[in-house]
Amino acid sequence: MKMDLEQLRKTAAEVVSRDDVKYLVGWKQGTYGYRVAPGFIEDAAGAAELIFSPLCTANLATYLTLVEQLPVPRGEEPDDRKAALMVKGCDSRAVTQLLVEKGIERDDVVIIGCPCPGVIDADLLAEKYPETEDLAEMKWDGEDFLLVRDGEETKIARDELLAEKCRLCRYPNPVISDIMLDQEVETWELAEDEGVQEIEGKDIDERTDYWAEQFEKCIRCYSCRNVCPLCYCQDCVLDRLNPTWVNRSVNFSENTAFNIARAFHLAGRCIECGECERVCPANIPLGKLNRKLAREVRDKYGFEPGVDPEAEPFQASFKPDDPEDFIL
Amino acid sequence: MSANFEPNIVAFLCNWCSYAGADLAGTSRVNYPSNIQIIRVMCSGRVNPLYVMNALQQGADGVLVSGCHPGDCHYMEGNYYARRRLGMLKDLMEFVGVDPKRFHMSWVSASEGHKWKEVVEKTVEDAKEAGPFEGFRRRKIEW
Amino acid sequence: MTEKPKVGVYICHCGINISSTVDVDAVAEFAKKLPNVEVARTYSYMCSDPGQVLIKKDIEEQGLNRIVVASCSPRMHEPTFRKAISEAGVNPYFLEMANIREQCSWVHEEMEEGTAKAEKLVGASVAKVRLLEALETKEVDAEPAALVIGAGIAGIQSALDIADAGFKVYLVEKTPSVGGRMAQLDKTFPTLDCSACILTPKMVDVASHPNIELLSYSEVEEVNGFVGNFDVKVRKKARYVDFNKCTGCGDCAKECRVKDRFPNEFDQGLGKRSAIYLPFPQAVPAKYTIDAENCLYLSKGKCGKNPKCQEVCGAEAIDFEQKDEFVEFKVGAIIVATGFDPFDASRKPEYGYDDYSNVITGMEMERLVSASGPTEGKIKIFNGEEEIEPKEVALIKCVGSRDESVGNEYCSRVCCMYVAKQAHLIRDKLPDANIRIYYMDVRAFGKGFEEFYDRVRRENVRYIRGNPSEIFKRGNKLVVKVEDTLNSRALEDEVDLVVLGVGLEPRADMRGVMDLLRLSQSPDRFFLEAHPKLRPVDTATDGVFLAGCAQGPKDIPDTVAQAKGAAASAMIPLARGKVTINAQVAVVNEATCRGCGFCVNICPYTAIELVTVNRFGNEVEVARVNEALCKGCGSCSAACLSDSIQPKSFRDSQILPQIAALGVLK
Repeated sequence: MKMDLEQLRKTAAEVVSRDDVKYLVGWKQGTYGYRVAPGFIEDAAGAAELIFSPLCTANLATYLTLVEQLPVPRGEEPDDRKAALMVKGCDSRAVTQLLVEKGIERDDVVIIGCPCPGVIDADLLAEKYPETEDLAEMKWDGEDFLLVRDGEETKIARDELLAEKCRLCRYPNPVISDIMLDQEVETWELAEDEGVQEIEGKDIDERTDYWAEQFEKCIRCYSCRNVCPLCYCQDCVLDRLNPTWVNRSVNFSENTAFNIARAFHLAGRCIECGECERVCPANIPLGKLNRKLAREVRDKYGFEPGVDPEAEPFQASFKPDDPEDFIL
Repeated sequence: MSANFEPNIVAFLCNWCSYAGADLAGTSRVNYPSNIQIIRVMCSGRVNPLYVMNALQQGADGVLVSGCHPGDCHYMEGNYYARRRLGMLKDLMEFVGVDPKRFHMSWVSASEGHKWKEVVEKTVEDAKEAGPFEGFRRRKIEW
Repeated sequence: MTEKPKVGVYICHCGINISSTVDVDAVAEFAKKLPNVEVARTYSYMCSDPGQVLIKKDIEEQGLNRIVVASCSPRMHEPTFRKAISEAGVNPYFLEMANIREQCSWVHEEMEEGTAKAEKLVGASVAKVRLLEALETKEVDAEPAALVIGAGIAGIQSALDIADAGFKVYLVEKTPSVGGRMAQLDKTFPTLDCSACILTPKMVDVASHPNIELLSYSEVEEVNGFVGNFDVKVRKKARYVDFNKCTGCGDCAKECRVKDRFPNEFDQGLGKRSAIYLPFPQAVPAKYTIDAENCLYLSKGKCGKNPKCQEVCGAEAIDFEQKDEFVEFKVGAIIVATGFDPFDASRKPEYGYDDYSNVITGMEMERLVSASGPTEGKIKIFNGEEEIEPKEVALIKCVGSRDESVGNEYCSRVCCMYVAKQAHLIRDKLPDANIRIYYMDVRAFGKGFEEFYDRVRRENVRYIRGNPSEIFKRGNKLVVKVEDTLNSRALEDEVDLVVLGVGLEPRADMRGVMDLLRLSQSPDRFFLEAHPKLRPVDTATDGVFLAGCAQGPKDIPDTVAQAKGAAASAMIPLARGKVTINAQVAVVNEATCRGCGFCVNICPYTAIELVTVNRFGNEVEVARVNEALCKGCGSCSAACLSDSIQPKSFRDSQILPQIAALGVLK
């Protein structure tokens, strides 16, 4: 499949020219190498820079809630124009979940859906095809990837580079959109979640050791929280002093508490976009925590967040037959 | 682990059923281990699952949450929410390497003094088996 | 949090209840060292007057502003101590109790472990009390009206008492007539009063009392609100007969095309009625009702050329177009008097109730022996071949009661006496009959009961101790197989009639009322009272009371007594004209709330809604709590991801220090 870049840029230009649209958030080429940056497009010139490629791993939905609501100067009206947003399949689920939680209103956003055949794992790419200063592009080529650099095209097999989250992806096509930029992609056979299974195969002590090693590495940079589209409380409970749920000191005890608490707060809300793991500078496999919980929610409670905008939030509802085999 | 290990159990009991059931156990002079310390909340639905994590961090070796039987919640539905949330928490804790023997949830009604005794005994026994909680226990910093 | 907390800790000996397993002096020494504790004392009985004076004196002299009482369960004496400190000028919500009796000294044996645990519990209470906030109890007006659900003798009595006191009563009855089970009885033990004779005057009173609005053939659909301010919606079911025109003449029932085809519920199915019917001759209101399921016109759309009832009704009262009607009103208190169901004897198949027409239940016997019943009071029974006057009669007690196999461990309390009464009535009508009663025990506990039991035995009714194992047919006789345990003989007793002394069970349809009013069941499945000894007419829901067999099996005198008690309790908010609202309600920090609506979804009392507020020029939605509806359960706050909604006195900031105090940081 191949996204028609002209079509994308033309559509984007049309959208930002609307009176009721403030800006469009999309991906554009970064300043060097494989870098892809988020673009806040306000005119046709900006739209001409938009891309959609296997390098577009970032989940732009997080920008919907990162926007600061500044005090409105006296005499002025708040700017209630819409934000337009480009979303892959996984990203669109974040938008849907935000709607369920009233983080945004449907009227606040114009959703531009980009059916996605899968993005690359940046670490694998850097390992196999080391980055240089020269600007590089990537394209989808059937099921595989095409690396375009220095005028040369290199075909790379899908399996070599596909991001782990994409191997497990159940929603490559956006579940909600106002404009769909391409035809839907065909879903592919899902891999086993080996990362989670690896942990499930360990006994309690092995698990304790495993996670002890991981959380010891945490530097409490909060990148995971910042990048997550569903972490948007102005004043996060884990930063609070009254009460102090988790101390701010960086040690194994507090790090574990922080990560467990965050994973728990995301139960039934996390849409498995994998961004947290991608941005963690300490390479902690956060995705495993969130994917495990997401699977329990699916299997035991029959619920999947971010699919139905009318759904009841998982943590604010119950079913009479919720599992209770663990209750004495 | 030493044979003399006495686990420290923190329990959250709902005022209308489980707390009353524990009181009944007392009035009936039923005997049970003293490892358990009770914090009274109005409803099991009040129990923020992160209390469990916090308790383990702050010195508990085991945690127990007890509420009314499904259908009998004094506030109608609180125990259903508790059931869902604490079920998820149990899965998460187990995945992260916390021995499932450390966390229990029970339904104990105001007339079940004897059941309360059994629940306490099971909780204490399981916590003994699991041993002192090291895990992510907050440690006192010795300068 | 403007003033520095000054905590006083009071540890009760409770005689030796606590001090025998907890070293109270050691606990006081421990408490003295805790931060902000100014005073730590022990005393033999903290709840007594001198005990309370001790606290008040310290408050005055030492300027204490937070009190911890380590003693019995707060469920026992929290109100006592709240009142005491309030009288000394400290806000009553600056109290925390440590339960070192029911949950410590009474359940542990060694002094060492009891003391160590008591110290930790006191530490947790001190940690919390320092962070409590002053709360004001608010009052709202109470509606001077009551709702009574069920118009049997219990509901009728409650309604009359409340109405006589001058308050308005809405009396809702599900069936077409008031009277309930008592109307079905013939004579009542131990006085042999004619049940209908003592009941019907009250039935008439209730229909004509100026303060009572009787809603018969109606059901309560919805109840919202809280004590003093319940919003009630009632469905008045369609009778298809114009209430105001019907004169109760009965011509319709005589002419009904399906006359006398259907089992009459009032006669326990032994008698027959038409599709249009009056449940029994003394029914109040004396208005006919059409049973829509069996009426030809209503169920099939056609009744001959024209419905007969409509043709013959002189008052033109038949109205097939009638629809269910809804009425809505406000009340301050609700009494549940929905009664019981007799145990279904089919569930004891060994007694052959379904197989033999001469095995009948106590309720059916009651109808047989009634002058207004299907046999006009004659005891005649069909034994499979012919209708006879029974010569050999057996009555069996404890059918469906004291019986784990059918799930009823409890004793139904009335059967010993009603079986004795029925034996007496049978003796009265059949002087030559041979009457025997098979029993496990005889419980003749009430006023006049033992005397009545003696009298019945003197009337030549034989009491044989044994629980029959089975009943089967032999020729035209029934054989009762039983062991006479006092004589150690196995018997095969041939009889003409067996009366099963069936017990009382909670109504099959009680779940509806439970959900309506958030009521619970006791282990025996009857409605749960707030406290079995001290609050037998209250429920856990403020403003909702219980009367009669809905709360547990009982006879008429006890039912009337309880109905009067429920009425008195219900009248408290009505007479005061005000109710106090729970002060420990949830409150939202609107600065951190992001309006996600989780709490709104969760609250079972719809006490929370999203409102729009202006945050520096931006319109945002935040949650807001209606304090009158909030019960303080806290389910909302456990779900709040930003800890924005918290119940007062049970905030996270107050509970986490408790957890820390109970921890053992090594």
